[in-house]
Amino acid sequence: MNTYEINMRVNEKDETLDVQGDETLLRALRRIGYVEVKLSCEGGDCGACAILLDGVAVNACLMFAAQADGSEVTTVRGIGTEDDLHPVQEQLIEKGGVQCGFCTPGVVVSAKALLDENAAPSREDIQRGLAGNLCRCTGYKKIFEAVSAAARQMREGDDS
Amino acid sequence: MSTRVVGRPHPIIDAVEKVSGATVFINDLELPGALTGMALRSPHPHARILNLDTMDAERLPGVAVVLSKNNTPDAPFGINHKDEAAFCREKVRYVGDEVAAVAAVDEETAREALSLIRVEYEVLPTVADPFAAQEPDAPLVHDSVAGNIANEFHIKRGGIDEAFHAADATFADEFHTHLAHQAYIEPTGCAAQWHPDGKISVWGCLQSVFLIRTFMLGPVMGMSADDFRVTQTKPGGAFGGKLDVKAALMAAMLSRAAEKPVKFMMSLEEDLIAMRPRMPVHISLESAWKRDGTLAGKRVRIVAENGAYSSLSPAIMSSIALRTDNLYKTPAAEIQGKLVYTNIIPSGQMRGFGNVQATYAWESHLDNVADGLGLDPADLRLKNYTEKGDVSLHGWKIASCAVADATRHVVREMDWKAKRARGGEGRGVGLASCIHVSGNKGFSVELGPDDTDPSSGVVRVDEEGKVEIWSGESDLGQGATSVMAYIASEVMGIPVDRFKVPPTDTGYMPFGMGAFASRITLIGGNAVKIAAEDARRNLLDAAAEFMEIPADELEIVEGDVRAKALPERKMTVGEVVSRTGSVIEGNGKWLAGGDVLDKEKYGNPSTTYSFSTHGAEVEVDMETGVVTVLQVCCGHDPGRVINRLGAEGQVEGGVVQGMSFAMMEGLAPLEGHLRGRNFHDYLIATSMDAPPIEHDFFESMDPYGPYGAKGLAEVAINPITAAICNAVYHATGGARIRTLPVSPERVLEAIEEARNQNTS
Repeated sequence: MNTYEINMRVNEKDETLDVQGDETLLRALRRIGYVEVKLSCEGGDCGACAILLDGVAVNACLMFAAQADGSEVTTVRGIGTEDDLHPVQEQLIEKGGVQCGFCTPGVVVSAKALLDENAAPSREDIQRGLAGNLCRCTGYKKIFEAVSAAARQMREGDDS
Repeated sequence: MSTRVVGRPHPIIDAVEKVSGATVFINDLELPGALTGMALRSPHPHARILNLDTMDAERLPGVAVVLSKNNTPDAPFGINHKDEAAFCREKVRYVGDEVAAVAAVDEETAREALSLIRVEYEVLPTVADPFAAQEPDAPLVHDSVAGNIANEFHIKRGGIDEAFHAADATFADEFHTHLAHQAYIEPTGCAAQWHPDGKISVWGCLQSVFLIRTFMLGPVMGMSADDFRVTQTKPGGAFGGKLDVKAALMAAMLSRAAEKPVKFMMSLEEDLIAMRPRMPVHISLESAWKRDGTLAGKRVRIVAENGAYSSLSPAIMSSIALRTDNLYKTPAAEIQGKLVYTNIIPSGQMRGFGNVQATYAWESHLDNVADGLGLDPADLRLKNYTEKGDVSLHGWKIASCAVADATRHVVREMDWKAKRARGGEGRGVGLASCIHVSGNKGFSVELGPDDTDPSSGVVRVDEEGKVEIWSGESDLGQGATSVMAYIASEVMGIPVDRFKVPPTDTGYMPFGMGAFASRITLIGGNAVKIAAEDARRNLLDAAAEFMEIPADELEIVEGDVRAKALPERKMTVGEVVSRTGSVIEGNGKWLAGGDVLDKEKYGNPSTTYSFSTHGAEVEVDMETGVVTVLQVCCGHDPGRVINRLGAEGQVEGGVVQGMSFAMMEGLAPLEGHLRGRNFHDYLIATSMDAPPIEHDFFESMDPYGPYGAKGLAEVAINPITAAICNAVYHATGGARIRTLPVSPERVLEAIEEARNQNTS
């Protein structure tokens, strides 16, 4: 198996690493410490490993790390951290859209990607935007409410 | 009683770390120098191991240790039957059975080592069907167990034959449920570190850190429970599946043999084929009625699929057999249960502990009865529900009950009467109810220290006025420890945001049985409430000395100790603690009420019981059989809501999880091989499937519960399957789903069956 040196910008930090040709982006990110990108199905079904790749939400398990050479990667921690939460994260807390928290990093990423494209999503838009993120705890209702409230919060923020 | 915290909506106390991706799940745990553990699993449902050669695997560079029957003692374990070994001995009994395990420097080496283990099998005939398994000439899953019967019982109570003889009408039905997985998103894993003094630290996504030591790790490894320090990592969902976690045993055994730390992470596929999914059952029901819709008696026969090994399965079957009898005033009953070994993945407990299956069958049957008697299904239920003060024929004491209110809510909110008047044209409504325990005394004997079903708590206040709660109970993501923080906050007058509840750890925390049987809010909540009251008393006693005001003239408000008569005379809680020169602690212990059932399964298994009613409105495409759930409406009686946001989350999550079970899930075993091996074969509800849910709580203010609260997790899932099936029955003019899941094929078959019946 060939080894490649790749460069990525992850959460605005430059990373240079050697990857095997068959190493997925998910595995590579976790290996260098971005364990907030969650490993579950490794088949593109659950969405727990969702990241933004050059601003587009993708499942990190469905691409090779080598394909991300020269790309900008944003994980949930690039969207917001404990001291500086994104409105989506704030509203997931407020509305109760988080229980066990395992799917949450992927949900935050997908919701951010949705709101970047659609500032005022309907319930159906949100359902579609999160269709790739399995959640077994919440029944989704409070996640929908959180994303909707985050959209409102962001629009009001823009107005002010 | 007015409350400051209890009953209001609060975010869970660890929400911030979870939304920012900072939570350390087991696979994120850094254990320097840890080896990768991995298991070799049986590819056959049933085979004799003729030869097992691990030599090449052991010689592979980077392999620390290979474990199998060749180098581990024969120490079988199990809760009801000691029928399972760490590694298969003479036979493999299901696809996924652990044959060997390796610990190696990395995943690649571990995988290669597995491929070098040579196993010579003599493939044996597979016993897949629980009815065929009982035939005299059926192959035996366990050679010593005749007829493959893992457990059976037969109970008669209350003059059942007379009840049927005197009945105005009798009804009979059969129902079948499928093999469904807990399907938490986080695959199961554990880590272990052997120490030179012979002790072992274990970490994992476990529902009970205390019990895994006593029913699995200790007996199999020939060590005492105290030799293990088990620490919970926050589970990424559990739903019953992370109670008996063999990964803990694998990690601990590998670590001891290698004398190095080992991480044993299962892949999702391994999780789906080798954990302990919800038990499939075959339920035959007969019921006897008076013309006016009064229940006179009930006969139940159950054949339950145990799978290859029997963990809590006898208790699950018992729950399926008896539980629904206690929801209605049932004067007489005859119950027979048979638990049958097969060469399929061992079945086990999932949210509901059999009650999802039992409620599906009985509550579907009730709508057939209502139809036969010409009564409204809601009215039939309201006529027969148990009430506060009742003692059921099995000895259950109903301490609080608001199920009738829950049903009336569903009827009102769904516009039930008007919608029931229509139906039969592809659109319909249905409802179903359930009763559930809040803890179960039986587990305390089977899994715990004695028959007390205990919980204990420690509440510690530090010099900054922050409070840490130590409880042996565990949070699975459902917000259980948040509930404890809110209870303690209410008691102590200290704001919620100052509370912290670390994950359970046997190393320093007081004993708790763990998260199952909807026991934590009632049992753990009471223990923490008592501990918080103790801590509050100790705080006030200390403050009384410093402030020179008698303790009974002080109060704690918003984290300040102040004189009731002179509120400006105050100290912060932190100042009080600081001046004592130590932490201020409170201790609490609570023992559950109820009894251990006698040999005839008579007794009151739980302190108290929770209730719910779910209603569903569906649309059925009569051409394709596709069912769409248009809306769900529920009423729940959790005694009292502690955290409204968390309680709503339990209901909404339970409903969607239950709907998912009812409509799309299934491991679909075929001759012992499972077809659901990833989330594209094993489908669970996505955001696209989630129906609108309207619901409310009916607080019966339980006399034993902390602030009146009892369990909620399982009443939130039990009735939805039957509610959907009853709505399909109504929508189609009589298509009864007797075999789950409610797939389009099954719906079309049922429509056809109903048409044939109507024309014959």
